[in-house]
Amino acid sequence: MIVADLVQYVVTGLLVGGVYALMSIGLALIFGVMRVVNFAQGDFMMLGMYLTYWLAIGYGVDPLLGALLTIPPFFVLGLVVHRLLLVHVTGRGDPQREMDAQLILTLGLSLIITNAVTMLLSPEPRGIKTAYATQAFVVGPILVNQARSYAFAMALLLAVVVYVFLTRTDLGKALRAAADDPEAAGYQAIDVRTMHGVAFGIGIALVAAAGGLLATYYPIEPTVAVNFIVLMFVAVVLGGLGSIPGAFIGGIVIGLVQSLTLLVLPFQLQNVGVFVAFLLVLYLRPQGLFGQRVRTV
Amino acid sequence: MSAMLKVSGLGVSYGGLHALADVSLDVGDGEFVTIVGPNGAGKTTLLKAISGAVRVGSGHIEFRGRDVGALSPARRAALGIAHVPEGRRVFPSLTVLDNLELGSYRAAARSRRAESLEAVLALFPVLGSRAKQLAGSLSGGEQQMLALGRGLMAQPDLLLLDEPSQGLGPRIVEHIFETIAEIRRRRRLTILLVEQRVVEALELADRGYVLETGRVVLAGGRDALLADRKVQNVYLGGESR
Repeated sequence: MIVADLVQYVVTGLLVGGVYALMSIGLALIFGVMRVVNFAQGDFMMLGMYLTYWLAIGYGVDPLLGALLTIPPFFVLGLVVHRLLLVHVTGRGDPQREMDAQLILTLGLSLIITNAVTMLLSPEPRGIKTAYATQAFVVGPILVNQARSYAFAMALLLAVVVYVFLTRTDLGKALRAAADDPEAAGYQAIDVRTMHGVAFGIGIALVAAAGGLLATYYPIEPTVAVNFIVLMFVAVVLGGLGSIPGAFIGGIVIGLVQSLTLLVLPFQLQNVGVFVAFLLVLYLRPQGLFGQRVRTV
Repeated sequence: MSAMLKVSGLGVSYGGLHALADVSLDVGDGEFVTIVGPNGAGKTTLLKAISGAVRVGSGHIEFRGRDVGALSPARRAALGIAHVPEGRRVFPSLTVLDNLELGSYRAAARSRRAESLEAVLALFPVLGSRAKQLAGSLSGGEQQMLALGRGLMAQPDLLLLDEPSQGLGPRIVEHIFETIAEIRRRRRLTILLVEQRVVEALELADRGYVLETGRVVLAGGRDALLADRKVQNVYLGGESR
């Protein structure tokens, strides 16, 4: 019986971890290419949840499809935010001062988005009711929530698409080249500023889609970002800053640790396990699980 | 001979220090020109100014009759300037093949990628056998070949080479210089080479400039420069770097 319990927690953790992984990939991509720590990442996730909610309530769009539909508009939103705001604090001079400016900008953006949504849409939590949210697949003694299973499958699919894009297409390789060495990328006719815009657009689109998937089983409210932004940061650091596969594994690990923590600690303390694991990894392997070398910013 | 590159009155300063002052030079279509000079003379800065990585304080840079001074590095590369930078600067986390393919990222070269790749792999067979390896795992000499190959993949009109011999053993250096000579023979490519190895560089080139503390102090044809007493005393006699 204890084994069945353990398997149950592992499965639940894996499923949740898949969605964390998708969120974290977006953050890692932005950091990897732009060297910008985007504190507003969680707020774009929240906006993705609301867009999915709006599509579901207003037009009867299934949230799993709605999550996919958030991708194009959020990609464009990312391009616009980069062009209007981030371009002024990236690649222009003293990196130390730029880092301060980036921090203030993305943190400010986060506050503005949270508060604007609270004002416009009320702080009241909402949820999308789907038939599968309360259903479970029964596998022997294990119950597997259907909403989480579908969300996991979609997250995995999107992560694979991103991986193929980054490793098989010219644009994807150019993004990685710009992350590796912006100056040398410029010499290959790769416009680094354009790459920043594309990376930010994709990063925002992925976290919005992850938000849409999350909305199939998680309540939607303006302050939901705070519950996830820290998890994303931990996943990205765990995986090795800027590493996409690392962020993916980091996300899965966090889902697992969060879930397994419930075996020994009450629900309210589930993130304690995450932070203990985080500190352990930082202590034993400071470059992260997949970080190969130290990169100075 | 029409001018491929024409630099006039170029000045660059870093935080009040003049790295380059009033530098003028030109490279004709199909010409092989070298810039030699001691460490810190501003040779690398000059190449970076030409390819756009360094902000120019004064002067003009014309490429094929067009003023490119205000264009981004990517735009200049798109026009046909390929810069093989100092320290090789391959993309370490990408494979050798990916590095080469990104060399032909510019639209004009992309359609000819397959034939460029074939030519580059014929020139550097070792890159073919390492195609799937990460560029960061190559030896210094192999990385230099990769950087050169990546530059050639752009099918450039003008190839800028910055210290291709830096940090390499004598046999590899010889191989690199031989390859540059071969590239030159095969394609009549216009090349601007920056080197600290004065003799080797001058022997390859048609013409040369001597740069010292940010200024052109001497210019002339290969033989005139090799015979010049100052060059002989300072660079050829002083081989014991």
